[in-house]
Amino acid sequence: MEHSALDRLLAPGGITPVYQPIYIVSDAAPELYGFECLSRGPQGTNFESPGVLFDYVRLKRQEIVVDRACIAAALRNLPHLGDGVRISINVHASTLGRDPSFTEFLATTCRDTRVAAARVTVEIVEHAPPWDNDAFLRALAALRELGASIALDDVGLGQSNFKMLLDASPEFLKLDRYFVDGCAKDAKRRAVISSIEELARRFGARVIAEGVENEEDLQAVRTIGVSLVQGFLFAKPMTAGELTVH
Amino acid sequence: MTMNASPRILIVDDEELIVQAMRKYFAGLGYAVDSAYELEEAQALLGHYKYDLVIADLRLTGIGGVEGLQIVADVHQKCASTRVILLSAYGTPEIERESYQRGADAFLHKPKAMMEIAHVAVNLLDTR
Repeated sequence: MEHSALDRLLAPGGITPVYQPIYIVSDAAPELYGFECLSRGPQGTNFESPGVLFDYVRLKRQEIVVDRACIAAALRNLPHLGDGVRISINVHASTLGRDPSFTEFLATTCRDTRVAAARVTVEIVEHAPPWDNDAFLRALAALRELGASIALDDVGLGQSNFKMLLDASPEFLKLDRYFVDGCAKDAKRRAVISSIEELARRFGARVIAEGVENEEDLQAVRTIGVSLVQGFLFAKPMTAGELTVH
Repeated sequence: MTMNASPRILIVDDEELIVQAMRKYFAGLGYAVDSAYELEEAQALLGHYKYDLVIADLRLTGIGGVEGLQIVADVHQKCASTRVILLSAYGTPEIERESYQRGADAFLHKPKAMMEIAHVAVNLLDTR
């Protein structure tokens, strides 16, 4: 084989971190709450698309090494944002279930990059089995002991189900864009959002609505009670350089 | 050809020179061309994009590999209207038969001139 895409991804500069702001919305002007760290593969390759990138990684069963590479790149490139700003990093559930030293890795990376672990939210993505549930729960406990918070991504889709909600007991529920996009004109979408907001409230968690792209949908989620939002209406994911200017 | 938009094709081969040559040739014919070097890269692309035609090498991982058969099966499962050409320098009658059973539209033995591959591709796209 002449090419190993995985080698290229893991080489220095193979993964480009980008950051999308999360805002608190209210009747006042939107206030910056934090950033979600996202990853892109090398420009001009298939892996520039995050969907293709992470499907490839999962098919290769290389979530652990790539999750670590993405987190390291994201935290190392992160400009100083102010001490109160939260940082969300994405981690596969399978990584938490299979990588016994993940929390140690995160602690070291946070220390090296001078990011307080208490500012970090670990977003659990793609919760597809098989992984060791006991090891997964131990990893969550260790992350909380480190000071990090837990978010559940893609709530309402795929494996992000009630069992996962009970197991992870997350501080944040990420509402997928599938439910948000067009919710202003769709009572059924609003009903789903309402039920997730109610669920979050009962869990003592907060909902973050992803994919907010217009004022109408923003008003709709706000009316339901969602106050944390991210999406193109506010800002697209930005590189570290763009973030500094922003 | 009777299509309105440029047909989108996916080329899958582990040899960079072959991929680049085919990309250039088919792009020159007006196709929108993607390429992949590994089975998993091809599968990830097939999960996100709809292709009119896939041209895949049978062997992507060295001696004994038959990953192309998996690609044929994946394509057939995802989109029945996508045409598939399988290329191989090592194709036995058994593998050729299996490739058709899995849904390949053509099985071509290497070496094969680019023009011949293109001729098969255009015919397949015209008969969809």
